Amino acid sequence: MTVPSIGSLILLLLICAPGCKRSRQDRSGPGARTERDLARKNTVIFDIDGGRVMNPDVWNPFVPGSRSDHGFHQAIIEPLFLLNYESGEILPWLGESFLHDDSLTTWTLRLRPGIEWSDGEPFDADDVIFTANMLLEHSPHLLYSASLATWIDHVEKVDDLNVRFHLKRPNPRFQLDYWSVKIWGGANIVPQHIWEGKDPITFKNYDPALGWPIFTGPYTLERVSPTEFVYVRNRDWWGAKSGWKPLPRPERLVWTWYGPEETRAASMANGQLDSLMDISYGAFQALQMRNKNIIAWSKEPPYAWLDPCPRTLELNHTVEPWNDPEMRWALNYALNRDEIVRIAYENTTLPNHHFFPAYPPLKRLVHLVEEKGLYERFPVMEHNPEKAKRIIESKGYQRNNAGYYAKDGKELVLLITTHEAFIEKQRIAQVLVEQFQHLGINATTRNEAGATWQDNYQFGRFEARMGWQATGSINEPWNSMDSMNRRWIVPVGERAQFNGWRWDHQAYSDLVDQIGVLPLGDPRIDELFLRAMEIWLRDLPVIPITQAKKLIPFDTTHWEGWPSKENNYIHSPTWWQSTHLILHNLEPTGR
Amino acid sequence: MDRLRSLLENHWKLGLGLAIVLTVAGTGLMGHLVWDVTRARVGSTELNLPPIWVRNPGPMFPKPDPTSPLGSDSSGRDMLALLIAATPNSLRVGVVAAGVGMAAGIFLGFTAGFLGGWVDNTIRVVADAVITVPALAVLIVISSYVRQIDLNNMAILLACFAWPAPTRTIRAQVLSMRHRPFVQMARLSGASSFEIMFLEILPNLLPYLAASFTGTVSASILAATGLEALGLGPTRIPTLGMTIFYAIKASAILRGMWWWWGFPIFMLVLIFSGLFLVTIGLDEIANPRLRGAPRR
Amino acid sequence: MKVYLLQRVGMFFLTVWLGMTLIFIIPRLAPGDPVAAMVSRMTAQAGQVENSAEIIEAWRARFGLDDPLPIQYLRYMKNVFSFRLGYSLAYFPTTVEEMVRDTLPWTVGLLALATVLSFLLGNTVGALLAWRGTPGLARALLPISLTFTSIPPFMLGILLIYVFSFGLEWFPAAGNVARGIHPGISFSFLVSVLHHGILPATAIIITTMGFWALGMRGMMITTDGEDYMILAEAKGLRPRRIFFHYGVRNAILPQVTALALSFGGIAGGAVIIEYIFTYPGMGYLLYQGIVNNDFVLIQGIVTIMIVGVSLAVLIVDLLYPLIDPRITYRKGSYG
Repeated sequence: MTVPSIGSLILLLLICAPGCKRSRQDRSGPGARTERDLARKNTVIFDIDGGRVMNPDVWNPFVPGSRSDHGFHQAIIEPLFLLNYESGEILPWLGESFLHDDSLTTWTLRLRPGIEWSDGEPFDADDVIFTANMLLEHSPHLLYSASLATWIDHVEKVDDLNVRFHLKRPNPRFQLDYWSVKIWGGANIVPQHIWEGKDPITFKNYDPALGWPIFTGPYTLERVSPTEFVYVRNRDWWGAKSGWKPLPRPERLVWTWYGPEETRAASMANGQLDSLMDISYGAFQALQMRNKNIIAWSKEPPYAWLDPCPRTLELNHTVEPWNDPEMRWALNYALNRDEIVRIAYENTTLPNHHFFPAYPPLKRLVHLVEEKGLYERFPVMEHNPEKAKRIIESKGYQRNNAGYYAKDGKELVLLITTHEAFIEKQRIAQVLVEQFQHLGINATTRNEAGATWQDNYQFGRFEARMGWQATGSINEPWNSMDSMNRRWIVPVGERAQFNGWRWDHQAYSDLVDQIGVLPLGDPRIDELFLRAMEIWLRDLPVIPITQAKKLIPFDTTHWEGWPSKENNYIHSPTWWQSTHLILHNLEPTGR
Repeated sequence: MDRLRSLLENHWKLGLGLAIVLTVAGTGLMGHLVWDVTRARVGSTELNLPPIWVRNPGPMFPKPDPTSPLGSDSSGRDMLALLIAATPNSLRVGVVAAGVGMAAGIFLGFTAGFLGGWVDNTIRVVADAVITVPALAVLIVISSYVRQIDLNNMAILLACFAWPAPTRTIRAQVLSMRHRPFVQMARLSGASSFEIMFLEILPNLLPYLAASFTGTVSASILAATGLEALGLGPTRIPTLGMTIFYAIKASAILRGMWWWWGFPIFMLVLIFSGLFLVTIGLDEIANPRLRGAPRR
Repeated sequence: MKVYLLQRVGMFFLTVWLGMTLIFIIPRLAPGDPVAAMVSRMTAQAGQVENSAEIIEAWRARFGLDDPLPIQYLRYMKNVFSFRLGYSLAYFPTTVEEMVRDTLPWTVGLLALATVLSFLLGNTVGALLAWRGTPGLARALLPISLTFTSIPPFMLGILLIYVFSFGLEWFPAAGNVARGIHPGISFSFLVSVLHHGILPATAIIITTMGFWALGMRGMMITTDGEDYMILAEAKGLRPRRIFFHYGVRNAILPQVTALALSFGGIAGGAVIIEYIFTYPGMGYLLYQGIVNNDFVLIQGIVTIMIVGVSLAVLIVDLLYPLIDPRITYRKGSYG
């Protein structure tokens, strides 16, 4: 290649550049198809929360590496039931009711009549039984299979619309935990006529020629690419046919992923996204300045919707001196939650003195704790470095030359590990490190790759971690409380399902076990709960820091009807299966 | 005077490069005497301050504060303190990594070039294998495993990937020198291999080695910054790469907080430019003809 | 010559084998595996995963991750020799071949193209810098283009995004093709790909150009002093012809070896460029594999890279004697 030809190449590129400048409205690139099917005003564009989908041809919701948050369970797979965080009710969807007997071991599921798969086959009890048995057979490889195998003894068909589940032990939360989109999603029913005879562990469930994946939702899959997924409305959707709900207004749905937070935010500013996943406050401000139609959950601080996984500073109870409750309380007095909210979150969340998320049914229980005066005896929210120093010094620690506390020649150190993909917890950890350093503890923080972080937690190989592993409860207390039950404890070096912190308290665990067999909403739960909380507060096995925030912006330029604090018909995360209700509520603005 | 002038004329690249690098290093090392470096920590200043010369920061930012002349980031770290603290750290990683890598490279390159035979073949195969394995990939894996990431660990890690290139090129140089008359003379007068290697050949290679060293420092700083920009560097020890990482994660570009990522990039550009010039300058000393074709 | 050929090919296999072994061992040193990575991701989305320990243990057994290392190693070797790269652990049941097939064209297309362009541009600049016949103006301007070498590629990427995407809005900041366009041989598709590829390619070209320029300049100066150059001038050949046929042609040879070797560096540089520009290439795939501790994916991609680079170097090495008759490979000479 000679110099002149190189020169002309450069010239060509430079000429192209200004010609490629797009106007603000149409940013789909030069020569984009602008046929009616991609008309902006009929399409809703969502952001994919979990990052790029590396295997876009896998549409089997049960294999571990599969993804459901790219429109799969928001538009195609419908749930049996849907828990509404705002009202606290479990809404019937594909299922009409799920009733249990007094022993809590027999649950009867009644399906809504008239449901069809998107290829016209009827959805009935056979599909439910097939799915349940398939999961039981392939436990524990498939997701949810091990959980169901723990509880289900066998499944019985009553008639085409009724299925009876016989459980091995009483479980008051059987419907809530697995079939109601309690957090993010749940176990889904697959069509027997397609899955029969396939190996569910290697079955990809993808064949455009046959229309696979086939589920019951109001949308079907139109097109797949590594960066975007397009769904088109199904005119024959059973819900509209049977008169249950009208067809949702959007004709097309697109799920796409633009990369780092600011590229995604910039795309929304340019009108290329209607719904964006969690962003930081500063990015939200910048977004609102560029596009006035952008809203979040609430108009005032903290703007964000509160997510079910409160952030907790978790300590390893097999590591000295953090197995001493008083030392944990010292840490609690040393840290300053308000400063964390201000710096790490830029004021988009609330400080937390409990491991529950702040939803009304759980807030009621926390209120009971306050009324009983437990927070006066155990002031978790108190920031008091002097008290912290007194406790530490009473244990025999003295300042060494470097200014840190030390005993018997060993410095008081604390290593807080964080998951490398989640900047929110890293920011909290950084503020904590400064606060502890200020006190005289040689604290440091470190990122670990997700797999390493998970393994270290389960094997008990950590000192402290900034995590959210006390999650579980949404509208009843047992789930989160059970994550700290001593029944999960295994020796360090073996894999623990829960309680990787190895907090061992017999009395607390007994109370939790008693709560576990009482039906939801039983009045006896409150008393047991308060007794357990007294123990928990004295020991403070994990230190609650903040509520989790999800700042989810919506663009009202093309579509209205998004959930918000004023219009809280459902909670707002659009990567959850609860998005189905949002889809039915969207109205085009006509712009 | 004339000698000084001709010295400057002939070696202006080296001079300029050294001046830049020393200034940058000096700011870092001396800076803590004039500025409180502890303000590079989280929470030491108000959040999101723009630099002091910004007249109208707009509604999203507070007014500039004279105690933070270069502004601050969204966690309250003062940018000036950050630069002063981070620059020597970034330089140090590069120098240590290059030092260890070069030392290994010199030893292995000499051995391979001089001894030849199967020793030579083994070293060549290992060096080639390490070159073809993507270094960044391995570094990412290892850094997620090492318990404590501090600057020295990072430097050693990087050195593991810095040695093959010097080894190859030193080996080539040694091979070409082996047959030069002065080496033959030394051999005839009974010098041992060791003496020939380190007393005859090495001094002749010095400028070349120096150029190779600064080039390796540059590459090591680049690799370290690359790792940090992916989030795998030390967290409480300020480094330029981690600052860029935090800036990207906090959407600093979108927010218009150019000072957050702009100043670290500027420092890095200075460092790399300086090292680049030094490398070329040393190259020219090693091979005087590189100074330019003689005018006709 | 035959001895040399055998030796060289033997070393090729040895290098490849060593590289493959390294990339087998090193990821397994880190605790955690892709199923654990998946579980930790799911806990971030779904709050908690019940029976996570059972799931992880079951899949580890299925993937053979608990087998003793030598057995896993033999399995890996056997797969490679039967040209299979295996099931990705993190994205099961997708195979590594499928994922590579989707991403390789983009990486090759973008990065190889950018590298080759950088090579051509850089060498041209370097040759012009060394040539006496270059007009003074160009001689003064050219070094400026080399100052950009001091900026690491990913930083230039950030700057380019800032100026050209968020600022001027000429180019998109992410992706390889615009939303809504079908992949396929169509004008709109090709234009969109070009449109999305310009910024990342520019970042690579500008920052790597200087390296080639310097090397070429050095080689040209060395060549300039050779006897045959003086003879060519004495013969009265046109300066242009001397420049290209005698100067550049001889100086370019070592550069070509360096080019072959630099393709190995592509993958490393690609990771960060593809991360910044969200370009769906193999570098980003490798990064995802690493982050998930997906041994099989990492091994598969790196094996492809190692084989590719070593093959390129081998071919160049073998072609050398054909191109430059002065080089011989008999024992005792410099080779």
